[in-house]
Amino acid sequence: MPSANSRPMQSNKPGFSITIPSQTQLLRMVVELTKHITVLYHFPPVMAEKISLAVDEAVTNVIKHSYQNSEDRELTIEYFPLPEGLKIRIVYTGTPPQFSTNEIDLPQMIKTKRKGGLGVELMRRIMDSVDYQTVNGINTCELVKWLKAT
Amino acid sequence: MTKNFQIKTRLQDNIAVIYPKGHLDAHQVGRFEKEIVRLIKENNCRIVINGKDLSYITSAGMGIIMGYIDEVREKGGDIKLCALNPRVYEIFDLVGFTEIYEFLPEEQDAIGKFTAHAVQ
Repeated sequence: MPSANSRPMQSNKPGFSITIPSQTQLLRMVVELTKHITVLYHFPPVMAEKISLAVDEAVTNVIKHSYQNSEDRELTIEYFPLPEGLKIRIVYTGTPPQFSTNEIDLPQMIKTKRKGGLGVELMRRIMDSVDYQTVNGINTCELVKWLKAT
Repeated sequence: MTKNFQIKTRLQDNIAVIYPKGHLDAHQVGRFEKEIVRLIKENNCRIVINGKDLSYITSAGMGIIMGYIDEVREKGGDIKLCALNPRVYEIFDLVGFTEIYEFLPEEQDAIGKFTAHAVQ
C-alpha cells in the first residue's frame, strides 16, 4: 500500500512524499494527489491539471520502461515547494531511462506505426524543465514548474 | 462505484462512432486499443472518436490513435475526432495532433466529412 510523509518545508527535504507500488491502477490516485498538492502550492487549477498529467506521464514511463510493467517494484514521488514554483522528483530503480533529446516528428512516428514516445514530449511542453539522472543505480526524474510562467 | 473509463461504439452508414467516457490513462488504454483493433479487423476503418465525455487523456491513449492511423488510412479510412472538451483538446494540441488529425466541433461534422468524401 502507498505510504506518505508530510514535513514542514525544508530546503533539501520534500514538503510531501509518497511511495507507491509500480502499478498503473494507482496512476489516477497520483494524478488527483498531484493536482491537490499543486493547487496548495498556489498554481491555478488549469495548470495543476497539466502538471498532474506530466507526473502521470513520468510515473507511467517508470512503470512501463524501467520496471517493464512489474507490479511489485516501488517508486517515490517527492514534492518540493520552491519560493516561486514547485519541483517534483520521482525516485526509482530499474532500467535507466533512454529518451531522445530531439523534438518528436509526428508524421514519421505515424509512418512507423509508433504508439510510444509522446509522453516525454508532453512533459517537456508542460513543465519548465525535465531532467533525468542516474546515480549509483538510483534513477531520478525531476520536473520543475515556475509560478511566473503559468 | 463509477468506472474510471468506459467505451461504447455504434455504427452509422458504415462509419464507426466511438464514445470513450472518463479517464483514459495507461491503466485503461488496453480497452481503447482493443476496440480500435476490433473495428479495423472488421474493416470498419472510417472511425469517429466522439470525445464529449472524455475527461482526461494521456500519451497512452493518443499513442493508440497515432499507432493505427496509418493502417486505417491505407485501408481507405481515417480517424476523426470531435466534440472534445477544451482541456482535452489542449492536450492533443500540445503534441501537435491538431495539425495531423481532423478535429471537428460536432459528431455530425465528423460523420459529414466521411459522407461528403464518399459522394465526391
